[in-house]
Amino acid sequence: MPVLRAADVGKVLLKGGRARVDEPVPPRFKAGDRVTTRNVNPLGHTRLPRYARGRQGVIDRDHGVFIFPDTHAMGQGPKPQHCYAVRFAARELWGPEASPRDWIYIDLWDDHLDPA
Amino acid sequence: MNGVHDMGGMHGLGPIVREDPEPWFHEAWERRAFALTLAAGFLGKWNLDMSRYAREQMPPAEYLATSYYEHWLWGLERLLVDKGLLTREEIDARLAGLRKAAR
Repeated sequence: MPVLRAADVGKVLLKGGRARVDEPVPPRFKAGDRVTTRNVNPLGHTRLPRYARGRQGVIDRDHGVFIFPDTHAMGQGPKPQHCYAVRFAARELWGPEASPRDWIYIDLWDDHLDPA
Repeated sequence: MNGVHDMGGMHGLGPIVREDPEPWFHEAWERRAFALTLAAGFLGKWNLDMSRYAREQMPPAEYLATSYYEHWLWGLERLLVDKGLLTREEIDARLAGLRKAAR
């Protein structure tokens, strides 16, 4: 088993865990693309909140290639793919009583999204 | 997982109390629970996403009745048992010993 010595703790913690992956994985979407989130109800981990499933949004920006938490959490590998800030109108998520001026940004991965 | 942790949009949980400045920890044991979780992570038996998923598996009623770092501690115990580093019996025996000593 690896040993973490007290003197190294600060160094290791400052370095942090890396979720960004340096692999040339092609993006499925680009900024401005309209997307629909998948309607999934997995028994395992997912970063796609219930209130944002099956909803339409717009890719705001591409963060780059990251570990996919949904598989990584289940011991099914990092499955590196693009992660995007996806912009949703508050009314799309919460209905007509929500403010027309509010937007919600959620970081989502390629496997959460389909073209709208 | 459609667990109780996915709370976005839930009503009836009361106001969010903002503290200024917000302390990193509210109790000394929380600091230890956090440190223990990070330290155990260096054993290399699980990754960050697995530890998050472990916390999500806390029974919903228990999850809502406990604090943030109680979730962390529950998740850590779950991982330690799942990965065979500790047994439930060992944890329970240690707890029983501590309770006895505190009396």
